[in-house]
Amino acid sequence: MNILGELALWVALPVAAWGMVLGFIGGREQRGDLVLSAERTVYAVFILILLASLGVVDNFVNDRFEYWYTANYSSRNLDIFYKIAGLWAGQRGSLLFWLLLLCLFSVLAVWSNKRKNREFMPYAVGTLMGLQLFFVVVLLFAEVNPFEKLGFTPVDGAGLNPQLQNYWMTFHPPTLYLGFTAFAIPFAFAVAALLSGRLDSRWIHVTRKWILLSWFFLSVGIVLGMRWAYEELGWGGYWFWDPVENASLLPWLTATAFLHSIQIQENRGMLKVWNMSLVILTFVLTIFATFLTRSGLIESVHTFAENTTIAFIFLTFMGSVVAGGAVLILYRLPQLRSETQIESFLSREAAFLFNNLILLGATFAVMWGTLLPLLSEGFFGEQITVGPPFFNRVNIPIGLVLLALMGIGPVIAWRRASRRNLRKNFLVPVMVGGVTGVVLWALGVRYGWALATFTISAFVLTVIVTEFWKGTRARARIEGEGFIPAFYHLISRNRRRWGGYIVHVAIVMIFTAFAAEPWYVEIQQTMEPGETTEVASPLGSTYSLTYEGMSTNVRDPDQNLAWQAVALLRVERDGRSAGTLRTEKRGYIRPEGQQSTEVGILSRASEDLYVILADVDLQGVVVDNDPAAQAATFTFLVKPLVGGIWAGLFVLILGSLIGLWPSAERVRSAATVRSGRDPFPDAAPALGD
Amino acid sequence: MARNGRFMVGLVGVAAVVTYLIWTGVSDTMVYYLTPAELEAKIMADPTFRDVGVKVSGRVVPGTHVEVAGQLLHRFDIHDMDNPDIVITVEYDNVLPDTFSDSESMVVDAVVEGRFRPDGVFEATSVLTKCGSRYEASPEELANG
Repeated sequence: MNILGELALWVALPVAAWGMVLGFIGGREQRGDLVLSAERTVYAVFILILLASLGVVDNFVNDRFEYWYTANYSSRNLDIFYKIAGLWAGQRGSLLFWLLLLCLFSVLAVWSNKRKNREFMPYAVGTLMGLQLFFVVVLLFAEVNPFEKLGFTPVDGAGLNPQLQNYWMTFHPPTLYLGFTAFAIPFAFAVAALLSGRLDSRWIHVTRKWILLSWFFLSVGIVLGMRWAYEELGWGGYWFWDPVENASLLPWLTATAFLHSIQIQENRGMLKVWNMSLVILTFVLTIFATFLTRSGLIESVHTFAENTTIAFIFLTFMGSVVAGGAVLILYRLPQLRSETQIESFLSREAAFLFNNLILLGATFAVMWGTLLPLLSEGFFGEQITVGPPFFNRVNIPIGLVLLALMGIGPVIAWRRASRRNLRKNFLVPVMVGGVTGVVLWALGVRYGWALATFTISAFVLTVIVTEFWKGTRARARIEGEGFIPAFYHLISRNRRRWGGYIVHVAIVMIFTAFAAEPWYVEIQQTMEPGETTEVASPLGSTYSLTYEGMSTNVRDPDQNLAWQAVALLRVERDGRSAGTLRTEKRGYIRPEGQQSTEVGILSRASEDLYVILADVDLQGVVVDNDPAAQAATFTFLVKPLVGGIWAGLFVLILGSLIGLWPSAERVRSAATVRSGRDPFPDAAPALGD
Repeated sequence: MARNGRFMVGLVGVAAVVTYLIWTGVSDTMVYYLTPAELEAKIMADPTFRDVGVKVSGRVVPGTHVEVAGQLLHRFDIHDMDNPDIVITVEYDNVLPDTFSDSESMVVDAVVEGRFRPDGVFEATSVLTKCGSRYEASPEELANG
């Protein structure tokens, strides 16, 4: 299996190259036979890469430590679940996994366009195969081959970092990677549009769902990462502005901008050059994020004697994509002219354009802050870093403007808003927002940014609820339906719009949760068993935490535990029992000497109580088993509204799925495709037929 | 064209505001990120630099970690990666990361942020450690382990 896996990787090299060449030549020469052949390489490379990935999984499952990658990321006693997830635990496997997902999406794109959009397919396939070829080359020649052998066979592997042995960590990277790789499809179609010269909105129409799918996975991946940090890093935070986090945020920001700007092109025929640039930029940022996430380039510059080959290859590739994209856009510039112009500042176009500028501003700020250590080292020979204070200072004002635009954009008129349009749509929401702000002020809220966030959130929510209400009422009246069927039909007739509004609600929820940060309570307390500490929540309730004592376990090879010290705390809220929390410290057998802290979280809709075993005399408790050594220091945190982030994720998933769901019209057109009629008679003749 | 001109003003306005935010943000919050050797050189050249807050990355010296009993006060040494003779003593009054260790059998790199006290001890406000999956073990370590 593993021999087969490595062999498959080598075979994929010429096949991908062949597919790329055939795609481009087939498109240029209008040769349907070549294009069909190129499309077959898409399927072939997918199967080859699947074999290679199975080879890596096989190495993990069967403890083949003669391989460098397996030896570094696994051990005999590792849970089978994490052995399979070993495919994306480290850089080498991740790159292969990335390629596997890219191949999977390429197959889906080719398969779903067998009989339509044929004018794009040759170049789209050529582009996708070019990308796949790049990753195969990286895997084989950039010193990151997951099948590289050590030259000897260690008795056991080094083990997986315990912080990665977490449920969320198993799903967070693949979800992000799904988002990154799904964006390759819109990118490939954009390149195909530029090469084929079909530069109307068709390529956007074709890839709209892909764009949304990519955005959806990126969003979910980012929030899952926050959840992982919250549970596993053990300090109660969920976002650190760490380079790796920032890297995943960058393509999300530009993809969000793109998701909005394509609507202007579809509705008003403007921003064609802008959209082409955004799709290329977002794609390059997905590559950049992939590269940065596992390379450790930023954090470890001072010890940076690592793999520079891969940095060179990736930077060259990103540079070529940007340069090639720029050349193509310049070449097609005459055909990318806007069909119309913006008429007024007070218009939906202007609101969307503003949203785009702001999102790109945020992208630039985050990128600048992330790359500052590298840039300052390069230009001044000294490293300068900025941390969370910088990112918060820049991004909080930007985020608030974006939040406000979520209330303005959906209801302001296209072209030019009349005074009547403004009054009709904004009078009530602005008043609701204003009243919310005044009431919160009267209640004693004095944090400026938080007050602004809550005020604007109330405005946005009122706009969205009013839109739903108006739409449902109008439909109920016109169609003579009850309110519930009218509401259902309203959404199903324009899933993209209403799904989008639901996503906006999710973003409001998440932003509101962020804004509660000034109210977070933190108390550190050293306690003997039996002692009680009271923690007051800013929302009014009081928690009494009684330290029940510490139980210890020694050496449990099945769980990979060298030792374990578990503190139990009885929790009462306002005098009533609210259960028991456990927080512990553990030492692992593999990796040897490594330890971790597990936190206890008591969640309610309004707030979380978060308990950390900060410090304990491990020698006394675990080794000497001394009952007198049970004194422990705890950190108690109360985090109001933090649940809004996770609840927001579910709303975001709901809204995105509504937008992604195939519409009735698309199901019908898919049926006509199966019956052999061309659903797009206006499209160029299918090359492959 | 007049309309487009107005939009250019809007565009330049947004760009100017974002640039302003970045510029003031960087100058107000930036921190030097140095190795112990670089920090020593900087203080030699300009003694006032001693009082500037910096981030320093070094390797934890095995066996130097001392914990004041009953408090969360930690003290340990880090040395320069290239020159083990340059050592900084760090004091940290909080919970150390789980991956921190001064054991002989482990190589732990720490990034400490803070400033020197008059007594020459580096008082850290944050300590990050680097090890584990992201910093892959060499095959030699595996063979010996």
